[in-house]
Amino acid sequence: MEQELKQLRDQCLADLNEVEELKTLDNVRIKYLGKKGALTIALKGMGKLSNEERPIIGKLANEIREEIEKNIIQQKQALEKKAMEAQISQEVIDVSLPGKTHRVGNLHPLNTTINELKEIFLGMGFTIEEGPEIEWTKYNFDYLNVPKEHSARDLQDTFYYKDDIVLRTQTSPVQVRVMQDRKPPLRMISPGRVYRTDEVDATHSPVFHQMEGLVIDKGITMADLKGTLDLFAKKLFGEQTKTKFRPHQFYFTEPSAEMDVTCYKCGGVGCKVCSNTGWIEVLGCGMVHPNVLKDCGIDPDVYSGFAFGMGLDRITIIKYGITDLRLLFENDLRFLSQFK
Amino acid sequence: MLVSLNWLKEYVDINIAPYDFGEILTMSGTKVETLTVVSENVANILTGKIKKIEQHPNADKLVVCTVDMGSDERVIVTAAKNVFEGAIVPVAVDGAVTANGMNIGTNDFRGILSYGMFCSIEELGMDTNLFSKEIMEGIYILPEDTPLGMDVKELLWLDDVIIDVELTANRSDCQSIIGIAKESAAALDLPIRDFEIYSTEEKNNDIADYLSVKVNSDACERYVAKVLKVKRVEPSPLWMQIKLLNSGVRPINNIVDVTNYVMLELGQPLHAFDYNSLKSKEIVVRTTDDKKMITLDDKEREINASMLMITNGSVPVAIAGVMGGVNSEITDQTSLVVLESACFYKNSVRLTSKQLGLRTEASARFEKGVDPELAGVAALRATYLLEKIGACEVVGGLIDVYPQPVKTTKLTLDTNWFNAFIGISLSEAEVAGFLKRLSFTVKSIGDGILEIEVPSYRQDIEVREDLAEEVARMFGYDNIPGTIMGGETMTGGKTPIQKYEDALKNVLVGQGYFETLTSSFTSEKRLSALNTSLSEELVRLVNPLGEENSIMRNTLIGHQLEVISLNYNRKNPSGHFFEIANTYFASAAPEELPVEEKKLVISTYGNDDYFELKGMVEILLTYSGIDNASFVAGGSDILHPGRKATIYLEDVKLGEIGEVHPAVVKNYDLPKRCYVCELSFKALYECCVTDKKFVDLPRFPASNRDLAILLKSEIPAASVENTIRINGGDILESIELFDVYTGEQIPDGYKSLAYALNFRHFERTLNDDDINPVIEKILEELKSSFDAQLRE
Repeated sequence: MEQELKQLRDQCLADLNEVEELKTLDNVRIKYLGKKGALTIALKGMGKLSNEERPIIGKLANEIREEIEKNIIQQKQALEKKAMEAQISQEVIDVSLPGKTHRVGNLHPLNTTINELKEIFLGMGFTIEEGPEIEWTKYNFDYLNVPKEHSARDLQDTFYYKDDIVLRTQTSPVQVRVMQDRKPPLRMISPGRVYRTDEVDATHSPVFHQMEGLVIDKGITMADLKGTLDLFAKKLFGEQTKTKFRPHQFYFTEPSAEMDVTCYKCGGVGCKVCSNTGWIEVLGCGMVHPNVLKDCGIDPDVYSGFAFGMGLDRITIIKYGITDLRLLFENDLRFLSQFK
Repeated sequence: MLVSLNWLKEYVDINIAPYDFGEILTMSGTKVETLTVVSENVANILTGKIKKIEQHPNADKLVVCTVDMGSDERVIVTAAKNVFEGAIVPVAVDGAVTANGMNIGTNDFRGILSYGMFCSIEELGMDTNLFSKEIMEGIYILPEDTPLGMDVKELLWLDDVIIDVELTANRSDCQSIIGIAKESAAALDLPIRDFEIYSTEEKNNDIADYLSVKVNSDACERYVAKVLKVKRVEPSPLWMQIKLLNSGVRPINNIVDVTNYVMLELGQPLHAFDYNSLKSKEIVVRTTDDKKMITLDDKEREINASMLMITNGSVPVAIAGVMGGVNSEITDQTSLVVLESACFYKNSVRLTSKQLGLRTEASARFEKGVDPELAGVAALRATYLLEKIGACEVVGGLIDVYPQPVKTTKLTLDTNWFNAFIGISLSEAEVAGFLKRLSFTVKSIGDGILEIEVPSYRQDIEVREDLAEEVARMFGYDNIPGTIMGGETMTGGKTPIQKYEDALKNVLVGQGYFETLTSSFTSEKRLSALNTSLSEELVRLVNPLGEENSIMRNTLIGHQLEVISLNYNRKNPSGHFFEIANTYFASAAPEELPVEEKKLVISTYGNDDYFELKGMVEILLTYSGIDNASFVAGGSDILHPGRKATIYLEDVKLGEIGEVHPAVVKNYDLPKRCYVCELSFKALYECCVTDKKFVDLPRFPASNRDLAILLKSEIPAASVENTIRINGGDILESIELFDVYTGEQIPDGYKSLAYALNFRHFERTLNDDDINPVIEKILEELKSSFDAQLRE
C-alpha cells in the first residue's frame, strides 16, 4: 500500500511537470485528487488495512495529498507568471509615438501681464478697483488737478461723448472715485482700458491699457514709494533689476518722478532694446498732490500717499520683446498661441 | 529743446564730460534725451582766402585757385560756381576728413594737382535745412574778417555738443539757455555768470516823439517797447549765427537774429516792427473786429474778436504772442525799428494759436507761461546786442506798460514736515542750502521753519510740496532710501466677481480657447454688416478717428467675427476664441453716464459645429453651478435662422448662441460655417452658485432603462427630455440622450431619440413594480403631448 501511494505521488508530480497551460492544470488535480481521482480511490482501500498499518498509511496519504496540492499551486503560479510574461512581451508599444492631442488655449499676453502685476500688488495688501471707461470730465481732469485750460482736454487729445463726458484718458479717475467713496487707509490698483486720439502705429493705439496704483495712509513717505516700486520692479523683471527715479512733473502728484528699470535684455550694458541707454522707462509716480487729497475730502495734514501709473501695453511689449503694438490687437492665432 | 553746450558754458563752468553732465542734468529734473556732436568726423579743415582764380587750361568747367592759408599758399582746383577772389572759404587740406567720413588728399585734375578741396555746408556737417538753397548748394563763404589758417571745427563750433532736453510743462522758465544754465549751476553747485544789458541810465526820453503804447486787455500782462535807428540790415556776425544754428534756428538778418538770439538766450519772445510801416505813432494792444490779416509767412489768416492783436490804433500789425503781420515786416529798407518785448497771458495765446492752427517758437513759449519780469531785461539785452553788433543806434527812453507787477510768492517750509514727508533727515541748513542754490530767498524763523521767497520766474512753485520736490531733487532722488510702508495691515485681495471672471477664463483656456483683445470702437457700417438694425442706444463719439471708429461697440460679436475673418484669410485652418470686455449703451437720463455692460463672447470656426460651441457653454454653466438653463430656438438676426438659440435661466436671459447668418458670413468674409455665443457676464455672475455642498453617496444600486422614442422631427429634444423629467418623479436620477436616429426603418419627417434613464431610491433597492408604472406614465404623456411612440 505504501509502495502504491509513493508510486502515485511520483506519477502525479511527473504529470504536473508536463503541464504547460493553466487550463490543463486542473485536469491533473482531478485525475489524482478528484472524487474519482487515483489518490482518492487508493485511500478507499484503507479499510482493508490492519489497525497497526492504518494510522501510518493514513499519515503518509495525507502527506502525499499535501505535497501534491502544494505542487499544483507552485505549478499554477509558475504558469501564471509565464503567461503574464508572454502577454507583456506581446504588448510592447512605441512610446515615442506622439500623444493624442487635446486642444489648449491661453490668455492674451496683455492679460497675462496684468495678472502678474495684480499678483504682485495683491501680495502687498492692495485691492483691485474698476471704474467706468466713459467718464465725467470732472473725474478725468478736474479732481486730478489738471488745469482747466490744459491741452490734454483738447479734442486733439481726448475723445468726447458730450461736453462733460469723455473716454477716460487714464485710469486715475478710479483713484478719485475710491478716495471719495472710502476712508483711508487705501491701497489699490486699477488696471483698465483707456483712450487717446493717437493714430495707430507700431507704438501707439487709440485704445490702450494702463494700471494706476494708489496708497493713502498716515505717514506714507516718498521713501515708501521708492521701496514699493523697487520691489515691484524686481518681482516683475527679476531680482537683479535696478531702478532709477528721475524727477518729473504730473498734475496730480508732487513731488513727481519717472521710474526707469535696467534693460531686461542687456541688464544695463546698453543694447538696441534700450537705445543703448541701459535703462527702460516704465512708469510715472509721485506723492499725491495736496489739492487732489483736499478735493477728495482727505486732509493732507493728516494723510499722505503716493500714486503711480504705467502703460500695460508697453510693459507687455517690453516683457515679451514684441516688435509692434498692432500685433496685440490683431489676434492672429500664430501670435496668440505663442504665450502658453 | 536744443541746447548748445558751448553756449551754456559761457554762463557756467561745466568741466565734466558731456555724458556725465547729461546724467546730472537728467537726475536733477531736466531730462536729457540725446547728446549729439554737431559734426563728429570733421578734421583738418582750415580757413583760406582765395587770392587768384584762373581758368583750368584743360577743362571748361574747372577753375584753379591760389589760396592763402595764413602760413602758406596752396592750389585748389574746383568746379564750384560761387567762389570769387577775396572769398574766405573752408579748405579741406591734405589729410582732412569731411562730415561724411571722406578722407581728402592731393588729386590730379587733368594735369593740375589740387592740394585739397573747398567745402560746402553739408561737407562741414552743418544742418542744411537751416540755410538758403543758394548757400547750401555752393561753397560756404565765410565773413571777410575771418582769420586765415583757423580750424573750422573751432570757428564754426562743429565740436559743440547739442543737448536735446525734454522739458516738463511746468518749467516754462527753462525754455532758454539761461534757464538751463540756472538748473545746471544749481545741480553742479556752481556760480552763474551775468550777461550784459543796455544801460538804463539815459539822458533823454526821445522815444516819446516816436511812439506811445496803450494796453486795452488783461491778456497783455506787460508791454515793453524800445525804438532803434537802423544803421544797416545785413547778416549778423558769425558767432551769433552759429549759436542760432546750433539751437536749430535759421539766421536771417542782424535785426531778426537778435530777437531770436534773445528769445533763445533768455526765453522772452521778441518782435521787431518796421516803424515806418506802422504808419502811426501809437501801438494799441486790443482785440479787433477784423476778419483777415496776412502774417509774416505770407499766409492769409482768419482772425476774430477773441484773439488779442497788436494794432497801430486802427489795423492789426501782429497777432499777439503768435506772429507778426507782413504789413510791418523788417525789410532791407527799414530805417527805424520798434522792438516789442511783451508778456501775453498763456491761455489767450494758446487759444489763439489753436484757432489759427499756427504754432510758433513764440507762441510755444507764451503758452507755457513767460515771467512778466523778463520783458524789461530782455528788451535791454536785445538793445545792447543790436548796438554792439553795429546794427542800430538807440533812441533814448523805454516804454513799459506794466499795470500789475507780479507779486512775489512767499511760503514757509517746515524742515520736520519735509523730512517726514520724504522719509529722510536733512538739517535745516541743508534744506536751506538746496533752496538757495535754486535762487530762492531763504530765512530761518526758528524750530526748523524756513520762510521762503520764490523767484518770479518760478511760476510753478505754489505749495510746500512744490518746495519739497525742489529740495528732494537737489538732494538727489537716488539718495532717498527705499522703505517698506508702515501703517495699518491691509488684507486686500480680489472680489468674488473678479475671482469668477478669472475662473471662467481659466475654464475656457483649459478647453482650448484663445483669449483675444479687440478695440472698443465700431461704426454704423460695421454694425450694419451684422445684419441688425441700428439701436438708438449707441454711444457716438464727437471726435472719432474716422467713421469706422465712431461708435462705442454694443456687442462683442462684430470684433470676434473680424478676428475669425483675419485668421481664416491668413490660412489658419481653425480657431477657438473668447473675450470678456465691455459693451456700451447710451443712458436715457442725461445726468447719467452711459451704461457699460461686460459681456463674454466665444467663437469657433474650422471643423466644429453648433454643438461644439454649445458644449463649451454647457461646461461654463456647469462650472457656474447652473444646471437648468434652457436653449430656446430663436435669437438675433446676426445668427442663422435655423441654427440659433437664446439661453435662459428661468426668465433671465443669459445670452445667445448660434451659427453665423450666411449674409453676415458674406459681409465679414468669413468661413462658410462659424459659430458664436455672446453671454452677459453680469447675468451669469448673478445666476452663478459658487458654494459647493456635499451630498451623501447613494448606498442602493440604480436601475437603468433605455427608451427609444419615435416622433416628428420638429419636436425639440429638450421638450421631450423635460416631459420625461417631470413624469419621472423623485426616483428618476438622470436622463441621457444617447442616440438621435433618422434613416432606414424611420418614416420621413420622423426621428428616433434613444434615452438612458437611471432610477434610484436613496433608502432601498428599486424593483420593477416601482419602475414600470413610471415608465408607462412617461410613455403616455409623450404620446399625448407629442404623439410619440415607443420603438419596439
